[in-house]
Amino acid sequence: MTPSLSVSQYLELVNVSLGQIPADFVIEGEISDYKVSQGKWVSFDLKDEEHQALLKCFMTTWQLKTQIEDGMRVHVKGAPKIYERFGTFKLNVTEVEPVGEGALKRAYELLKKKLEREGLFDVSRKRPLPRFPERIGLITSRDAAAYGDFLRILNNRWSGVQVVFCHVHVQGREAVDEIVHALDQLNGLADRPDVMVLTRGGGGLEDLHAFNDEQVARAIYASTIPVVCAVGHERDESLADFVADVRASTPSNAAERVVPSREEVRYEIDALSAHLTSCVSDAIRERLSVIDQATSRVRFLLERQKDRLRRLSETLQSGSALWLSRLSDRLARHALVLKQLDPRRVLSRGYSIVRFAGRVLSDVSTLEVGSEIQVQFATGSADAQVRRLNGRGQQKLV
Amino acid sequence: MTAKKSFAKDFEELEHITQWFDSQDQLDLDLGLKQFERGLELASQLKKKLSEVENKVEEIKQKFSSAT
Repeated sequence: MTPSLSVSQYLELVNVSLGQIPADFVIEGEISDYKVSQGKWVSFDLKDEEHQALLKCFMTTWQLKTQIEDGMRVHVKGAPKIYERFGTFKLNVTEVEPVGEGALKRAYELLKKKLEREGLFDVSRKRPLPRFPERIGLITSRDAAAYGDFLRILNNRWSGVQVVFCHVHVQGREAVDEIVHALDQLNGLADRPDVMVLTRGGGGLEDLHAFNDEQVARAIYASTIPVVCAVGHERDESLADFVADVRASTPSNAAERVVPSREEVRYEIDALSAHLTSCVSDAIRERLSVIDQATSRVRFLLERQKDRLRRLSETLQSGSALWLSRLSDRLARHALVLKQLDPRRVLSRGYSIVRFAGRVLSDVSTLEVGSEIQVQFATGSADAQVRRLNGRGQQKLV
Repeated sequence: MTAKKSFAKDFEELEHITQWFDSQDQLDLDLGLKQFERGLELASQLKKKLSEVENKVEEIKQKFSSAT
């Protein structure tokens, strides 16, 4: 009968056998889940691209002569060992050497540049989201926290929305096909959603592969419905984020981006009604003030006319008194002058008026001896006959 | 859904009425009062809808199997 061994004895045996493997084998792989703890212990996983193969690696910071990061392609040398205490298999790494850029990361960067060149990330093609969506397409895993987070925030903020949910794997082999198909299917619905949300929680580059997949990026680009993409946490980025019309930082943030807040809308409705009310009351107040102004203007004009009338009548009264007395003075003076000129006054002083053939005579040359003349005195008149002219004519009788 | 459909429409109409008021140099008071009444009616309908309706989730199945 074979003697029994204790676990530690057996593991020791295994470790001895592992020790037979030459330590100068170079292993090529890609780093992921790189961590440094307590400033001295370095751990990372070394992976193959083609096969699902993973080698857990362990080393100290002082053995690590170069800077490494997740996704970096490296050559590693070391000795394999089972750690008895935890029963874990690890490679005790003695050397790490980078091999170019990490292939997966590099592939991501290359694809990113290609899609960018093709215009998939162009800001000009980003479509605005409807303010009040009625139907929202939701693409995520029903088992993911993202699903619950999104619906919780959606319900907190807004109501009356029909969520058309499409369950997909957000990582793993099926993820890419399912996501692409879900995008197509929602686009093809008779009652199309107004906006679509593609979301999942955060994760490593490996977990996010579906969101960095070219097919998914192109399906988002081809969608005629605006797409909101939310992957993980703020710092996570994916190609799906860049192509989407709106990039939300988290599943909760996606809900905030697609629906408005009930409170804000209520406030806005109140503000709009208040604005309407003030427009109408302003208009009414304006009309009232026009009426007031017209009334006071008319009153003012009336007052002014009344004033004018009063002033005119005063002027007329005082003016006419003065004018009348002046007029009577002038009249008296004229009467006086006329009186002075009255021919009867001359006659009364002993002068006479001599007329010949009805005309007043001042020149004797028109007379002949024998002409009949009339002589007017102050009182009465006498007819006479010319007997001599300038001493010539009939002999004086006397 | 139809209730919601009218939400976007009603909200838009309310915004239009407000814009209409802002665009009037000299407000026609008769027309203005009609618009004003319509605006207030819309506002109260919208607020009522805000507190009434709930969200619904409907799941659609993928019409292809991941095996293909």
